[in-house]
Amino acid sequence: MDSARADILAARHQLQTRGWIPRQAEAFRHLPPPDAAVWLGEQTGQAATGCDAHPLAGAGWTLHPIGHSPQGRVDARWLDASDALQRAELWAGIPAPTGAGHADDGAEGDAAPFAWAHRALCRQGLRLRIGGTPGAERGPRETVWLQLRHQPRSAVEAPMLVIEVLAGVHCVLVETHDRQSVACQQPVVQNLQAHIVLGDGATLQHLRIAMPGAADRVAHHLHARLGRDAHYAQALVASGSRYHLQRNVIALQAQGAVARSAGLLLVADSALEHQVRLSHGAARTTSTIEDIALASGTARAVVNAHTRIAPGAAQADVRQRLIGIPTGGQPKLVLRPHLEIHHDQVQATHSATWGALSEEALFYARQRGLDERTARGLIVQGMAGALLQRCFADEPLLETLDIDALLRAAVARHLAPCLEADHE
Amino acid sequence: MTPSEPLLHLRDLRVDVGDRNILKSVSLDVPAGALLVLMGANGSGKSTLGLTLAGQPRYRVVGGSARFAGQDLLALSPEARARAGLFVSFQAPPEIPGVKNNLFIRTALNAVREAGGEAPLDAFDFLGDARAAATRLGLPEAMLARPVNDGFSGGERKRNELLQLALLRPRLAVLDEVDSGMDVDGVRAVVQLVQELRAQGTAFLVVSHYQQLIESLAPDAVLRLDQGCIAETGGVGLASDIGRTGFARAAETLDS
Repeated sequence: MDSARADILAARHQLQTRGWIPRQAEAFRHLPPPDAAVWLGEQTGQAATGCDAHPLAGAGWTLHPIGHSPQGRVDARWLDASDALQRAELWAGIPAPTGAGHADDGAEGDAAPFAWAHRALCRQGLRLRIGGTPGAERGPRETVWLQLRHQPRSAVEAPMLVIEVLAGVHCVLVETHDRQSVACQQPVVQNLQAHIVLGDGATLQHLRIAMPGAADRVAHHLHARLGRDAHYAQALVASGSRYHLQRNVIALQAQGAVARSAGLLLVADSALEHQVRLSHGAARTTSTIEDIALASGTARAVVNAHTRIAPGAAQADVRQRLIGIPTGGQPKLVLRPHLEIHHDQVQATHSATWGALSEEALFYARQRGLDERTARGLIVQGMAGALLQRCFADEPLLETLDIDALLRAAVARHLAPCLEADHE
Repeated sequence: MTPSEPLLHLRDLRVDVGDRNILKSVSLDVPAGALLVLMGANGSGKSTLGLTLAGQPRYRVVGGSARFAGQDLLALSPEARARAGLFVSFQAPPEIPGVKNNLFIRTALNAVREAGGEAPLDAFDFLGDARAAATRLGLPEAMLARPVNDGFSGGERKRNELLQLALLRPRLAVLDEVDSGMDVDGVRAVVQLVQELRAQGTAFLVVSHYQQLIESLAPDAVLRLDQGCIAETGGVGLASDIGRTGFARAAETLDS
């Protein structure tokens, strides 16, 4: 038996021995994930109904240029996880999942079964090494612009992504997961694991867009480790589906590291959970978690923010701000800000606010001639735009990426069923 | 609307806010192109009247009628009122975080234009008009690119209301203490804009306590609102009398 096969069997054994995530597990109790059988493709009839989409039709990971910006040096390796050597290369430097401990020591916590299920099923992955242009250190710092697109290539899959941004490099990455223009339109089960490592002084501005199909069951687990003075800003725009989990585990392991996480969750008659676990393991580290969750109909939206300040992380600066806005129907909106502080000399604030859109602003807009649908859309789009602006703090970047158009379309899609229901 | 019918025609308008009756009986006419000044002590119902005309859902009309440009105003949604040509400035305009001022105003302007059968303005043409109007009103051009009223001072918010008024060019503008919080130049800009728009046919109902502004506007009539009723009607002299004796004295004189 080759080592790839052995690794797969070992992962299955771990899963079998440790069991799946209990329904009452603290991190998952508001939106329990489907059982292991679903993620392994063992549910009755599921594995047999393979997707017919041809890999060459654009499925899997694809890299695209953004605009005419200079493309820095990017080493991209598409790796076959069923091949022993390529599998070893794909997982090089990635710690094995463990259930105990906290994110800063590489532990998966409650989510470890997802990682074992992923190892058991993963068949392909992409490894990116982003190094900038040789010699660029001498001149102004060059930005590497990348668009990374993922489209499902089978009905049950476990894609893998590893990104390494070398020291001092500045990268803008747009990562999209959508079902539009995909040959395969049948429901998909996707258990994705992504690992990001930022070298000292590296910067990654990461826009993630995850818009699964209504019947899809999706779990994305992103792990980021930041070096000294590294900056990681992630803005997530996500919509709900039958089950949709977006889980970020971000470790600030070295002095001066900064992480900003923003989530715009658009959940209509579907489910979506955004978990962000941040750990401050060194002095002078800064983090912000800010989410706006819009939910309507029978939606279930959960935002779980957990920030831990380890002993010795002096002058850590931590903020959490979670906002939940019902936009129609009777959605279930759960906002859970958590702070775990083990050091005295720190600043930490957190808040959770539930509420409707400002009636005053809505009336003001209508008094100027905007119909209710347009007024609501504009106000929500404004909130979303401001959220992304705070995350990236980079107006030209938002203009280059045409964020307004993205948000306009996403918000309009979210509000359409709410307003139709209101007018019935 | 028949030629003899005023642009705004209110009869015995009664309005509740929560469980309180604020407007007890308001009857007034605003002919097309006219300018009326509405004065009254704090709590007399001036702002309630403006917001009721605008269609604020918290203000419940419990009696009477309101016709605007030949239509039953009370049957129209707030946006339909605006599209019919009614503009109501806010005493405290709210902020709309993240929505750029120029996008907000252009979207509103195009909604009104399209309702009137006019072609929408593209961003380029709109920006030219908006910049010119902002300059005339003393509003820094940078305010166009900032979120609506977000971080604006009191005077800047009022100027932003005037900017929208200048671009929307309504048939009737209800200005609720638009001069409060304004510096001398701002008040001068109000007078100038009102005169320009009046020359183009816009009628005004101006709520103000500021004697000099009222005199500069040369109103067709001055109305005094007292405890939810129009208590007195007169010319600029009435505003001068109120300025001299105060609202309480004016009410006593009328009673005697």
